[in-house]
Amino acid sequence: MEFEVQENQGNNSIQGIINLQPQVNQVNQVQSQQQEIQIKQTDIQVSSTLEESVAVTLLRDLRQIGVKLRCVLVPTMSTDNARELRNWDLWGPLVFCLMLALTLSLSGNNDDGPGIFATIFVLIWVGSFVVTLNAQLLGGKVSFFQSVCVLGYCVFPINLGALFTLFFQFFYLKMFLVIGCFLWSTYSAVGFMKLLIPEQKRILALYPVILFYLFLSWFALIV
Amino acid sequence: MQNFGSNNDLDEKGHVMTDQPKIKVKFEPKPKPSKCPICTIEFYQQFFNIEQRDVYMRVRCSILSWKPEFHECVGKNSDLWGPLWISTTIIFILFAGGNLSRFLLEEDKRHFKYEYNYMYVAVFLVYAMAFIIPIILGVIIKYILKSELGVFDIVCMYGYSLSVYIFVLILCIIPYNEAQWFFLMCGLANSTIFLLVNLRDFMKKNKQTLLIAVPIITFNVALILCFKFYFFRLIYAVDD
Repeated sequence: MEFEVQENQGNNSIQGIINLQPQVNQVNQVQSQQQEIQIKQTDIQVSSTLEESVAVTLLRDLRQIGVKLRCVLVPTMSTDNARELRNWDLWGPLVFCLMLALTLSLSGNNDDGPGIFATIFVLIWVGSFVVTLNAQLLGGKVSFFQSVCVLGYCVFPINLGALFTLFFQFFYLKMFLVIGCFLWSTYSAVGFMKLLIPEQKRILALYPVILFYLFLSWFALIV
Repeated sequence: MQNFGSNNDLDEKGHVMTDQPKIKVKFEPKPKPSKCPICTIEFYQQFFNIEQRDVYMRVRCSILSWKPEFHECVGKNSDLWGPLWISTTIIFILFAGGNLSRFLLEEDKRHFKYEYNYMYVAVFLVYAMAFIIPIILGVIIKYILKSELGVFDIVCMYGYSLSVYIFVLILCIIPYNEAQWFFLMCGLANSTIFLLVNLRDFMKKNKQTLLIAVPIITFNVALILCFKFYFFRLIYAVDD
């Protein structure tokens, strides 16, 4: 196989020719294939982000969180969604985890605020870690931090549920809301994860996700 | 123009190659032998080589515990998925169900105090029963009593023996003393019979191996006593 490369300094592009080796098929016909591949590299604008103001940086991060949140929670499964999710970040999961832990620890029903905060924090991070590890060990083609990122973003509906339960004390309404948030979270997370696991092992990878959100929803309901 | 590879390369024997495939490019990263094989992910991947159907068959073997079919079910393919997620489910049921059972019995439902300690105790108890005790027993069985069963086979068996408790503990939410004892006894019998029946071939060898039944039964009895007296204790209001 021969690979010739030509650098074109003018427009930052690389042109190449790959000569695949001659293939001898069973009819004694020698075919050689030649493919021309054009690789164009668009210019990368390197702008320094150190020189902008803090407000601009924060707003940009918040906007990115918002965009990813919409991708994750409105499960339309388009290719744009998939591409967006590949740029994982852990800011979103951290923000939602802290919000959930704070909300639940400040609610009036319990007398062990710091304990609840610590429990929820550890539960979310260790839980995401273990669920992702489980999916990887089952042979799923799932990138570790991308999966932790999606699981963290899908905690957002449970966050909403916990905030609502702070204000409404009527038990059946709370139960209805929390069940709805649990189903929404689980449906989003499952929608993402099930694409990456082979068919026969799907339930084995998705059951821990369901258990994870069940734990968190149960906390949102009882605290 | 850069030319990677020329017509005048030498092949393995040192002869000049003409009009032959030019460059063999291999990008296989060589797997480095690790100093600590148990610490790598690749070691544990062999224990997750199962499918949904396999898990269903193994749980079924465990619930129909009097049939010694578990080793045929598993073959050489013992798994860690079952022990891990069955024990985590049991932790959730203990945490949620234990408090629910107390809630149903409580008269003053508005001032019910939720006990969060149930979670920490449940994590300790169930993971000890599902992992630490089988590892110790497995090491004893494999290295001291010289059996063919490996440590992870025993862990797998213990994990699946706990699967009956998922149903038993859900039923124990019913806040009646006699009902709870009945269900827990059924669970104990099922779990212990499963372990003893599947270790029967090993235990028949000599008197020493028969003694392994003692710690198995002891730990199972201790487990259900902990379930009953910590998670599902029924404290009736005393009328003076």
